Amino acid sequence: MALPLPPGLTPSEVGFLCEMELVTVIPRQRLEGLELLGGPTQSLNPPFPAPLPLWLALLLKRQKRANISPPPWLSVEGLSSILQFETDNRTAEVFSPAPALPQPTGFGSRHDAYLSQDSLEFSPPFLADSSTTRSQSNALPYHWLELGHLLLTHASDDFDDPDTVRRLLRDLREVRMSKLRKGFKVLDAGAGVKMNGVGGMEVAEVRGFVGGIVDGLRKINRSREESRKEREAEERENGLGSSSYQDDEDDMQL
Amino acid sequence: MANRLRARPAHAPGPAYLSYTPNGKKLVTVGLNGALRVFQHDSEDEPAVIDVLTDNHFAVAATIEFILVGAEDGSVTKYSLLTNSMEEMLVRSSLPVRDIAISPDGQWAAVASDELEVKVVNTQDMTRVMYLREHPRPAKHVSFDISGAMVAVSCTDGLVYVYSLSSEQPQLVKRIDGLIKMLDNEAEASSKAVWHPDGRAFAAPSSTRDFQVVARNDWKLQKAFRGGHRGDISAAAWSPNGALLVTAGVDKSLVLWETRSQKMLKSFDDVHNVILAMQWHPTDNVLSYTNNNGELFIRENFAPNEHAKLLKIALQHAPMNGDPLNDISGNARKPMLNGVKPNGHVRSGDDYIEGLLDDAMSQDGADFIEDDDGAGYAEEPNRNGKRVARSIEGPQAKRQAPGPVWQPQIHEPFQPGSTPWKGNRRYLCLNLTGFVWTVNQETHNTVTVEFYDRQEHRDFHFTDPYMYDKACLNEKGTLFACPASSHHPAILYYRPHETWTSRTDWRTELPKGEEVSSISLSDSCIVATTTAGYVRIYSLFGVPLKMYRQKSSPAVTCVSWRDYVMTVGNGPVGGDETTRLLYTIENVKRDEICQSEDILALPDGVELKSVFFSEKGDPCIYDSDGVLLILQHWRTPGQAKWVPLLDTRTLDRLASGKKEESYWPVAVANNKFHCIILKGGEEYPYFPRPLLSDFEFRIPISSAPNGDEDEINADNTLQNSLEEKYVQSSLQYSLIQDLVENTNATQTQKLEATGLEREVDKVLLQLLAVECREGEERGMKALEIATLMKDRTGKMLEAAGKVAQRFQRDILSEKITQLAERRLVGLVDDDEV
Repeated sequence: MALPLPPGLTPSEVGFLCEMELVTVIPRQRLEGLELLGGPTQSLNPPFPAPLPLWLALLLKRQKRANISPPPWLSVEGLSSILQFETDNRTAEVFSPAPALPQPTGFGSRHDAYLSQDSLEFSPPFLADSSTTRSQSNALPYHWLELGHLLLTHASDDFDDPDTVRRLLRDLREVRMSKLRKGFKVLDAGAGVKMNGVGGMEVAEVRGFVGGIVDGLRKINRSREESRKEREAEERENGLGSSSYQDDEDDMQL
Repeated sequence: MANRLRARPAHAPGPAYLSYTPNGKKLVTVGLNGALRVFQHDSEDEPAVIDVLTDNHFAVAATIEFILVGAEDGSVTKYSLLTNSMEEMLVRSSLPVRDIAISPDGQWAAVASDELEVKVVNTQDMTRVMYLREHPRPAKHVSFDISGAMVAVSCTDGLVYVYSLSSEQPQLVKRIDGLIKMLDNEAEASSKAVWHPDGRAFAAPSSTRDFQVVARNDWKLQKAFRGGHRGDISAAAWSPNGALLVTAGVDKSLVLWETRSQKMLKSFDDVHNVILAMQWHPTDNVLSYTNNNGELFIRENFAPNEHAKLLKIALQHAPMNGDPLNDISGNARKPMLNGVKPNGHVRSGDDYIEGLLDDAMSQDGADFIEDDDGAGYAEEPNRNGKRVARSIEGPQAKRQAPGPVWQPQIHEPFQPGSTPWKGNRRYLCLNLTGFVWTVNQETHNTVTVEFYDRQEHRDFHFTDPYMYDKACLNEKGTLFACPASSHHPAILYYRPHETWTSRTDWRTELPKGEEVSSISLSDSCIVATTTAGYVRIYSLFGVPLKMYRQKSSPAVTCVSWRDYVMTVGNGPVGGDETTRLLYTIENVKRDEICQSEDILALPDGVELKSVFFSEKGDPCIYDSDGVLLILQHWRTPGQAKWVPLLDTRTLDRLASGKKEESYWPVAVANNKFHCIILKGGEEYPYFPRPLLSDFEFRIPISSAPNGDEDEINADNTLQNSLEEKYVQSSLQYSLIQDLVENTNATQTQKLEATGLEREVDKVLLQLLAVECREGEERGMKALEIATLMKDRTGKMLEAAGKVAQRFQRDILSEKITQLAERRLVGLVDDDEV
């Protein structure tokens, strides 16, 4: 019997994925570097801060072996400036932008970096330093909601003002959800909503609803679609579509 | 004298207010009727009268040139004192004006009315207005602090709101709850915050009818003047030097207090009406007040004779809990420096007042200081017989007056990593191992030592009856030092963190009269510099190893790392009257002097902020310009030079120009500068302990790249960063090479040295690649870069040749191969090229 889960990821699964993010911890005791599947960690040497995956950081935090220093965007100033951007009349239509993308790696001239073979271009959710203390203070990374929630639940004493941060996070979430919902009004078979800068949890949250609508719209339009396909098939049989058939043959041979 | 309590009927019966001009020449009173009166000081003549259109005046404030008068109809009018006529209507509100305050420079006037907002108007240009709006109800009183940068607004909701005017937009700094009482707008009782003349505190009438002092730095309640009044306080005034305080109550009482002891000196019972406004004359022993019956009293010789001398002493400090300055005066250190305080921490605002006071003192001449009971009020000791002292003192002062006495400015001793008192706590030591802080509990201190590594060490805490004021902390133990007191001489106290015997902490007492000026602790020794000019070195278990007189004294500070001890002292005087700082580095175990009395390189006007050894054991300094420098080649006498590692003014985070922050140095470790970021003009870190931040070194080779993202700039940035990297890695290489050559270096250190050597060549290779890409015409420079390579193995030049080939610079590649060949057979030595 199949699991009765909706398509896509559940919130706890998104939260689990978020735990691979690196956060900055301030260790309270020494620890040698660990060989983890995600790569080796730096050895911990108090009071020098070190980046660790969130799950390990939370584990150490629970054992009182480390403090987590929250990323700059998860501060009262950072969040309030983002909230201001979200609620400003001039930018009310768009989501606050995601963090700036790093330069693609790759050698040779700067112009053909995009084309070169060994060039790597990173994009969310695989940006380095999106949640360490070196992250940008004015942009929400892909896992902002999950990370903020996890840190505020397990490491609220490492925040200057956890209650205000919590309130700002909730405000941001509400503002952005309402924007997303506003976007759904225009959903149509051919229409789209621009979702630049939307976080992982938000995507997971609306996936069921949007997926359902788009699927429903597809079903409604199915008769039209089918008739179109039939017509095409007919045309093909009539010999008009022979060229395209030929192309298919070529592809097969390749 | 007998008739001095004659009231001067200034105005129609009803509330009247007054204000002295800052020079004390004139006294202005306002009242219910439509006339202002301008009294001349020291004159029995009838006052000048300015007839005005408004009546029912509730507020007046005067500068030397003009007065501002606020009336019930909501207008604030400016009258000239030069012509005694109206100049302009400065500002108008819809409701009655309650209070006016003028900033000390006379530029701004704060106006409190029954409207919700307080307006701060420029007195020269009335179109420039700032609004203070954070308080929810009308303000009853406003007052400027001594610097004019802050306004305390006493609101009718029972809170004092402190605004800062230093920014374009006034900002609410603090909301002080539980200080003043909720009062009606028209109440006779007052809730006005009155700033103490030293600028560190203000005081306001509390709901318990006391006069409560509030510190400016942390807005905590300090000492209070208690039990003087049975009714609410209606007016209060500090004497111009802050030594005396007068308060008046609605129960028709008038009380004179001594600030230092908060003792009631005299209670006057000859007041028949409620006093509404009160001011001391700026220089004389005269108090003037107006009451709610329209009368003015000018009471000459107000402070009784036995207390009158308190009016003539220098500026007194506001009474605070756990005041560090009290401790200092206990040491009876004379102010031997011009303008520099004994504790070495000059606060903003002090200079201003001291400047004023100095002027006042020089005008008044010799008999200004009259310390006839020997109580030490005056700084200059005058313990001779009274008559003799006077006859000498008079002419002497006159002779001294014309030519100012020249005095060199010396650097005050400081303890690296410590902060001054703020509130009742301070850090004694803050480094990468942990931190030591102390809390003043009046009779004793409590010292807490906390570590970053809680597994390795356990935090501890003890009660400290000796009042330790210096501390050092490292992995092995903690060292404390305390100044001498009446019970004991100066003491050094060392407490190891762990022992395998029973506790082995030890104390050692310094000879009488000798004070510790700085201490330092390393893995193998303890160093203390003293006021007697000695450097005392002990082993970790208290064995005195050696002691010698420091060549340059008085000592400024000392630091140590393993067996190396660096002492800094005041050397010869330079052209700007300040002494040059000289340092000496010696190895205690080998008894070798590495650098003797070498100059600590600081440009003009720049002061030393901190000295410490880096993690690898190289001396570093941090100066007041925010530049971090490291000492290169210091193990060879005469070779040492200071190399900048980082200029914090060129950091990227400051590039936007929006941030105003400074950096408090903590350490240099892991090739990074560890510091605490201080925001908003703070000078020292405070509680809760701020997080450490770290910055990569960046030698200020070229100006920081600006934000333009065009192609040429990007190229330049790459090249600049490579060049910087080259200089930095060759510096690191030379530091580690010195270490390897001069000490019994470990294998890892030797490996690191060769690694760094390779690193230098790698950076050069990258630079070469940049040059090759730029074009054929840059070949000469490329070849020069190739010759810079140390290249012990010969592989680097080979690689350089390959790089040149890849960019098809054939001639260059050929020349590089030639160079490599000549090197191989030893034809090129260092002096050639």
